[in-house]
Amino acid sequence: MIAEFVHTLRRLRGQIIGWSIGVALYGLFMALLFDSITQIEGFEQLLASYPEEIMGFFGDIMSIMTPKGYLDVYYFAYMHVIVGILAISAAAGLIIGDEEKGTLDLVLAHPISRSRLFWGRVLGYVAALVIILLAGWLSWVIPAQGTTLDLTWLEFLRPFGPLLATLLLFGSLALVLSMVMPSARLAGMLAGGLLVGNYLLVGLSNLNENLANIVEYTPLYYYQGGDAVTGLNWGWLGGLIGVTLVLALIAWWRFQERDIRVGGEGGWKLPASLQRLARRRQSAGQQA
Amino acid sequence: MTEEMALRTRELTKAYGRIQALRGVDLVVRRGEVFGFLGPNGAGKTTTIRCLLDLIRPDGGEIEVLGIDPQKDPVAVRARVGYLPGELSLESNQRVEGQLRYYNDLRNRQADWSYVHELARRLELDLSMPIKNLSKGNKQKVGVVQALMHKPELLLLDEPTSGLDPLMQQEVYRLLRVAREGGSTVFFSSHILSEVETLADRVAIIRQGVIVEEAEPQALKGMAVRRVHVRFLREVDASPLDRVDGVQLLHESNGLYATLQVAGEMDGLIKALAAFPVSDFETERPSLEEVFLSYYAGSKEVE
Repeated sequence: MIAEFVHTLRRLRGQIIGWSIGVALYGLFMALLFDSITQIEGFEQLLASYPEEIMGFFGDIMSIMTPKGYLDVYYFAYMHVIVGILAISAAAGLIIGDEEKGTLDLVLAHPISRSRLFWGRVLGYVAALVIILLAGWLSWVIPAQGTTLDLTWLEFLRPFGPLLATLLLFGSLALVLSMVMPSARLAGMLAGGLLVGNYLLVGLSNLNENLANIVEYTPLYYYQGGDAVTGLNWGWLGGLIGVTLVLALIAWWRFQERDIRVGGEGGWKLPASLQRLARRRQSAGQQA
Repeated sequence: MTEEMALRTRELTKAYGRIQALRGVDLVVRRGEVFGFLGPNGAGKTTTIRCLLDLIRPDGGEIEVLGIDPQKDPVAVRARVGYLPGELSLESNQRVEGQLRYYNDLRNRQADWSYVHELARRLELDLSMPIKNLSKGNKQKVGVVQALMHKPELLLLDEPTSGLDPLMQQEVYRLLRVAREGGSTVFFSSHILSEVETLADRVAIIRQGVIVEEAEPQALKGMAVRRVHVRFLREVDASPLDRVDGVQLLHESNGLYATLQVAGEMDGLIKALAAFPVSDFETERPSLEEVFLSYYAGSKEVE
């Protein structure tokens, strides 16, 4: 499992470095701009003049003048969608990407169980996301010392918890989909579409009461964002982590069951256990 | 399964959707032998090998590899097996040594690295090369090295010399002989008949997911249809030869020459010819290639 963990981190090193730099530079830039933005004369009046629809979609924009609100609106309100691109694409290709390249065949011919390979890679993937978010956290904590962003390191850290949980939830969804869909790319597209759709739904639900009833059944409703600065909603966080674990277990079960493809023989299929059941029923019917 | 058997399959079946890839494959490979698995593309060679490693799950039948059911304990099987896939794909963004070290890590660093260097030297493989810069043949050498480097008890090789030049093919044959001398069993698939004839102690021919023949290469050649040319001392009526079991009179010329086709043993024909004034007798021994083709060319579909 350690070999797979290290191998996954090595394979993702390009994304880890690139995304860490990107996320950190953005955080650094926004942290340093806090004083300048909040001191713009008439900025509050400008915000207050925004159309009602925009105010509704983005939530409490007026709170932007406070460190918590600034962090929420300028970072956590959309960081789960931006880093979600990486989380989903990396998860969709985590195992099935290798199968499509034809390299999984030889790896699994070595004395490593499918479970160890699966969980080794999942842990490597989680570690990669943690490293990227760690870079994001440092990019706020360090420059904040020279600004009026008077939050403690823990207050800066808290919203990264729900952010990581949300990324892992959509990552595990992409992983499940990659196990049942004909290609990793298709799985990534569907999971990405669901993430963006959910993001829009949450925004629009602030404007439409009918949508507000639906949105409660979607994961992003339980994403705390910048609100977590003042304290974590452990119930919501636990729920996100719980769903993530369930999805990861389903992906693991599907990986245990499936044939490793080398090309051509895959596609839309029932799980092997259901196929066996169908065959048994068919042969029983023939005997009768 | 007795200790002498390296692998055994019984009534192995596997379908990909509506395509029946294996239709009841029965195989027995003894320990220490080199076993050639012959068949054209799509016959079921790769599917059989991948079932042995639990990469794919058969729909029916039984498998034992080194006395272990690969579906029950795949890790134990793979720990003792070296595998070379037919469609070898490697991580393109690694160097050869990095890739081999990764495979060795998966084996808990079981391989002696000086042996890896020896294999690389014998195959003229540069371990420092990035894999993306390797030719198909050189990638195949990486595959051969990773299969052999931990000195496995059983080698499952799917077309091991694919993409290699003739000199390197010979070197791989030598390495496989060395592995056999060291006690390893070699099970390899191929559609290169000269390779099978050179290496294998026994051969199985698979066709449309069924083993249609299993024998030693020489015996297989002996079982094949062969052509016999007979010259007589004087004009004769050769038609009685056509009635001998397994003999078919193909051509008769002026009562002095006859061309016959004989299936199986020659005994019946030789005894029948004792009644004829024979001046000369010549048989054409078939190559394994002709034997192989006789199983495929113009043959009926397997039911």
